[in-house]
Amino acid sequence: MHDRNQPSPARRGAIAADAPRSPSPAARAPQPARTGPAFPFADVSIAVVCERDAHGDDLVRELQRLRAKPHHVWPPPPQLPLGFDAVFCVLIDDLPRRVPWLPGEPESALVVLLPRHAPFRPDLMRDCAAHGALVLPADPLSVQCTLALARDHFRYEKRLRGRIDKLDENLRNMRSVERAKTIIMHRNSVSEDEAYQLLRRQAMSRRVSIGAVANAIVDSQELLG
Amino acid sequence: MRSSSQTTEPWRVGVLFSQSGFMAVIEETQLRGTLTAIDEVNAAGGINGRPIEPVIYDPGSESRAFGRLAKKLMVDDGVSTIFGCYTSSSRRAVLPVVERLNGLLWYPTLYEGFEFSPNVIYTGAAPNQNSVELCRLLMEMYGRRFFFIGSDYVYPRESNRIMGELVRASGGEVVGERYLRLNAERSEFSPLLREVKDAQPDVIFSTVVGQSTVFLYQTYHDFGFDPKVTPIASLTTTEAEIQAMGHDVGEGHVTAAPYFQGLGGTRNSSFVQLYKKRYGEDQSTNMCLEAAYFQVHLFAKTLEQTNSLDTEVLRTSALGVELDAPQGKVAVNPVCGHTDLWTRIGRANRQGQFDIVYESPSRVRADPYLIGYARSLAFA
Repeated sequence: MHDRNQPSPARRGAIAADAPRSPSPAARAPQPARTGPAFPFADVSIAVVCERDAHGDDLVRELQRLRAKPHHVWPPPPQLPLGFDAVFCVLIDDLPRRVPWLPGEPESALVVLLPRHAPFRPDLMRDCAAHGALVLPADPLSVQCTLALARDHFRYEKRLRGRIDKLDENLRNMRSVERAKTIIMHRNSVSEDEAYQLLRRQAMSRRVSIGAVANAIVDSQELLG
Repeated sequence: MRSSSQTTEPWRVGVLFSQSGFMAVIEETQLRGTLTAIDEVNAAGGINGRPIEPVIYDPGSESRAFGRLAKKLMVDDGVSTIFGCYTSSSRRAVLPVVERLNGLLWYPTLYEGFEFSPNVIYTGAAPNQNSVELCRLLMEMYGRRFFFIGSDYVYPRESNRIMGELVRASGGEVVGERYLRLNAERSEFSPLLREVKDAQPDVIFSTVVGQSTVFLYQTYHDFGFDPKVTPIASLTTTEAEIQAMGHDVGEGHVTAAPYFQGLGGTRNSSFVQLYKKRYGEDQSTNMCLEAAYFQVHLFAKTLEQTNSLDTEVLRTSALGVELDAPQGKVAVNPVCGHTDLWTRIGRANRQGQFDIVYESPSRVRADPYLIGYARSLAFA
């Protein structure tokens, strides 16, 4: 019954738009959130890769109760499915090889599932670069806490990566601005401050960033030789 | 977790250099340098009684394969220390993997700087250790008009930005800048060199890498340029490329590097001898090979103290370690995880070796962000 519904395709946009409206699930009181005014996991698409036994069915049912969109997958495919907000997958021996992304570049939050009494395997979990773990059978509160924290960590990691990309870009832009200033100072025989003001005025009147103006000047200088 | 007690089990490490594809010409020598050092360490009894065991894969000059194989090394082979990478694109492919799984990449290649990963030890030259002096010397010896040629990827574009700023800051001029795809064919160089001929530069500054390097110099030779008047200056053309293009073709061209085979010194002689004994009398050492070689010894010296491959422990202990390398005494700079190296400029001779025309008075501190240099240069 669980996999009748087709998985919703990647809906990063929808999720991102949801996020600011509902408070972070992690910040809530530790009661089952589904009794609260909002459903923090509403429409969160989740691939659930586990056997369709009683425990697996319970997990899928619990996710449905949370208004998430679980999609049951079994047996484990050679590559975990892409395009879900989260993937729950049994911690099998070769799971790291089935993770379709590189560690450090995850595309979904990954939660590994373990049966009760399974051995503790920290190396295997690290190699999957998982964001959380859930022991089955899982009580409703554990499911919510794990899902909330896993998504939190995943999204935090993504923001950090974004910040680093932005920093790299800023560094490049700063280098361009410095070079553009040097070029203007030489060409127009003006002071550093005047050169910067010229850059600023150009950026304002063209409604583009100072970095973009600087890049244009540096590029044209390179073209002119 | 991965530390040793009383055991003779080997220390397993990963090795990632291309043995096939267009980067093999230089990466193959880095693989040899790595293996030479590993065998040397093992022949002397290993590290605390345990040999180093390399797990070697061939990424075939494909950046994405570097990322995939780094994951394989760390996940399937349980390795946390990796020696490897030549191109910046391959290093950037490995970076997220070692950063997330907390591995340690030892990177033995000069690069464009402006990077600092807590999961990398950099043992090749940063721009302040080669470009700065090269620019000054070229201006002095040949003139002010530069033509830039590069392979189209991260490193050449970034190095040329820095070099371009250096040239302009010293009153020179960049009269042309062209990029060819990474594995450019020989035929693609003819129109390019016709353009160079028209532009009449005093120096051709090349950041062409891999197999195409040979085509650039050979086409230059065919066009009848005179290296005494308009040499090709490079940060990447080593003895390996000179050997591949022919000694007569390479003669007179200029390269900046921390190391040349032609250096004197007993440490270098024994290194060169060891290498020739393994790979043949006609085989030359080069800067990338030397870095690949000495970084294994840096690793061994560090591991001897830590007796643990745990990345945190290993990296912390590697910072500040000093080593008598073939190029002279080097040290891992504790501030930036890059290596303090020697700056040298060589001119290729008829024997395919470099005569040293400049040498820094002492090793030069690594400054990957060019913080100690003029601001216009730091942001070049």
